[in-house]
Amino acid sequence: MTLKKLLLATTAMAMVGALAAPAMAQTTLRLVSKDLLTTNPDDMKEIEAIEAALKAQGTDVDIQTIDLPGGTSAYVDALGVMLLSGDIPDIIYFQGGDQKMAEQGILEDLTPHIEASQHVKAALWPHNVDRLANYPYLIYIYPPRAPQPVIRTDWLEKLGLQAPTTVEEYEALFQAIHDADLDGDGTAGNTLGLTGFGNTGELDSIFNQAFGVTGTWMKNADGQWVNSRVTDAEKAKIEFYARLAEKGLFDKEYVTNTFDVKEDKFYTGKAGVVFGSSPEVIDIYAGKMRQAHPGEDISLTLLPVPSGPGGQGLAAVDVSKESRGWAISSLSEHKEEAFKVLDFMASKEGQDIDRMGFEGTQYTKDASGAVTFTDAISTWYARFFNSANWTPPTPLLSPTAQAALDTIKADFTADNAFVWPAEFAADVDATEQVYRSWVAKFITGEAGLDQWDAFVAEYNAAGGERMAEHARTVLGE
Amino acid sequence: MAEPSAGRIAAPNNGNVPKPDAVLDNGGREFANRLLPSGVTFGAQVRQWWPYYAMMAPGLIFFIIWHYVPIWEAKMAFEQVRIIPPNIWVGLKNFQVLFSSPIFYQVLANTLIISGMKIIFVFPVPIIVALLLNEIRSGKLRGTLQSAIYLPHFLSWVVISGVFIALLSPTDGAVNQIQTALGFQPVSYMTNTGTIRWVLVISEIWRSAGWDSLLYLAAIFAIDPQLYEAAEMDGANRWQKIWHVTIPGIVPTIATLFILNMGMFLSADLNQVINMQNDVNASTIDILDTYVYRLGLSTGEYALATAAGLFKAVIGMILVITSHLVSKKLTGKGVW
Repeated sequence: MTLKKLLLATTAMAMVGALAAPAMAQTTLRLVSKDLLTTNPDDMKEIEAIEAALKAQGTDVDIQTIDLPGGTSAYVDALGVMLLSGDIPDIIYFQGGDQKMAEQGILEDLTPHIEASQHVKAALWPHNVDRLANYPYLIYIYPPRAPQPVIRTDWLEKLGLQAPTTVEEYEALFQAIHDADLDGDGTAGNTLGLTGFGNTGELDSIFNQAFGVTGTWMKNADGQWVNSRVTDAEKAKIEFYARLAEKGLFDKEYVTNTFDVKEDKFYTGKAGVVFGSSPEVIDIYAGKMRQAHPGEDISLTLLPVPSGPGGQGLAAVDVSKESRGWAISSLSEHKEEAFKVLDFMASKEGQDIDRMGFEGTQYTKDASGAVTFTDAISTWYARFFNSANWTPPTPLLSPTAQAALDTIKADFTADNAFVWPAEFAADVDATEQVYRSWVAKFITGEAGLDQWDAFVAEYNAAGGERMAEHARTVLGE
Repeated sequence: MAEPSAGRIAAPNNGNVPKPDAVLDNGGREFANRLLPSGVTFGAQVRQWWPYYAMMAPGLIFFIIWHYVPIWEAKMAFEQVRIIPPNIWVGLKNFQVLFSSPIFYQVLANTLIISGMKIIFVFPVPIIVALLLNEIRSGKLRGTLQSAIYLPHFLSWVVISGVFIALLSPTDGAVNQIQTALGFQPVSYMTNTGTIRWVLVISEIWRSAGWDSLLYLAAIFAIDPQLYEAAEMDGANRWQKIWHVTIPGIVPTIATLFILNMGMFLSADLNQVINMQNDVNASTIDILDTYVYRLGLSTGEYALATAAGLFKAVIGMILVITSHLVSKKLTGKGVW
């Protein structure tokens, strides 16, 4: 009898255990991101830390990362092909190409997840909120990318000038840099005031508002919406850029410069001012500048956003959608768990890992718990988010970079750009090509500003007019 | 049927195999008739010559999988592609979108101009290089030169474009410094719409002329030395030997490569252009491939990209057939 009871009890326990097992089973999540690769030990260390932290919170997940080719364009291409072939991971990092996937219904609407989230909702930046309202499939918790200009502090002091606060003062600063022999090569007049790379996007960041380019769409004299690229405000801005280039103050070779060429011109003293695309990048520039000039204690000064005839402020931020970020597959069988990963990464614990790395490697703690960052922090970068409500125990940014971040926080204006329907793809591409091409020709001197009307006509013919008509239906009166 | 012995496999080489010229001249029919006499089934032939078929199989399978099966998927050009099947048939809509773009015709014109320039100015250079290399008597010198001119072929366009941008810089590029020293004004070659296509042509020559000369050099080496000896006995000088022996000897190779090049006429080299492109020259060197890459692949519009690919393929096929027929008429040689 006792033996029978024992057998029954054992069998019952085994059955309960078997039934309970699936509920406690580990959930496998497949994740694809260009910054999380099995070949990078730091990436895998972070994934293991995330798994361990989530498990401690009662969510047992096995995150399997998928390696795709590195480099943004190679990643975008490979990701597109992978998704098209029907291989759709649970968590997907996009850097373009997401809209087509969202149109086909394979991306989860994140709104209900965010509403119910423990951490994400509080971690969003204001522009994230707007973007998610317009396009709820991608989440990218980062401050807006607003390039801001920096100059070597010692150069500014040598010139005896205050940081410029108006467009005219900027021109005077560039002229002073150009005329002085700040790089000490014995020849005055061979230093550029400002350099850039690719296009004028960086400059637009601080000069758009100064010349009255308030957003993507502006009302003309008749009260109709037109693209700001064909307005008089834009023309005045381009005239300013062209004048700088003609006087040798702005690098005419910005068109062929790559980002590393731009940086090199800054470090080697061929150019006095460059734009840093984010606060973190400004700190990278400062570090590289010190590496290029060992023994010199060089720091960078952030130049303010200037006022001009049209106003003052950082360029309006496109809030139509995130241009990159994280998505969850609507076909995933583990959507809740997938979002828990993202939610955790927005939390303080997740941010500590993602932003600071690991104790003993990227930082140390003393007996009082005070954090000191090591040299290894300079090669650490966040793989997921930069939460708005997270502050590091010890400042991660230099005062210059922090000032840049403060400007971004204080100077946010939402743009009125919107997501284009697929049938406008060719028009969007054509007008972009026409605009970029003419702007570069105006600045390099291949075309004169007296040809502005020809540019406007070509822009409108390339699809600008159709796009404006559509914009009027979207933006209303 | 007995299994083929090594002797039997080798037999055609010692016996009645027609010369390659004959194969070219009659489209291989004579060769096929000798291998496959009437009354012998294909299966019997396979059993008899199975080692050859076995050697051919991997190549055949590769072509079927990677070149023929995908042809079926070209139907994507007529569909709205759905990740969750089925795709939706949209007829010619993708082609309409492609052709209705205001810059499509400019892009097409750029492609034709750049490809035309490459056919005219790039295609003959490897032939000239091969002829020149063949005239070098010192084997050591020829080997060194060959290695030097093959080298650029192994550089990526990213590197080459960096080199050319630096070389042609209007402020500190070597070319402009020489130009300035000679009293000329510096020219921004990379941002000048009048010069950028020539930069594409010259950089293409620099990269590929050496490597592409290999095929012609091989064809030159295959020319019967007795022809040169006969020409010498007739009192031909070096130039006359090139003109009357070497060049006629490589005409079939030139014709074949020309026809194959025509098939790729609308592919003006995506990698080269994308690395040399900037905002100023974009309107001058924006080609079909860059346009499709931007509009189709980067944004996930795969059907649009396939439509453009199909358009290119059809034009390429027409050009191949046309140039084959023209070549047949002019030189008696073609690709089939």
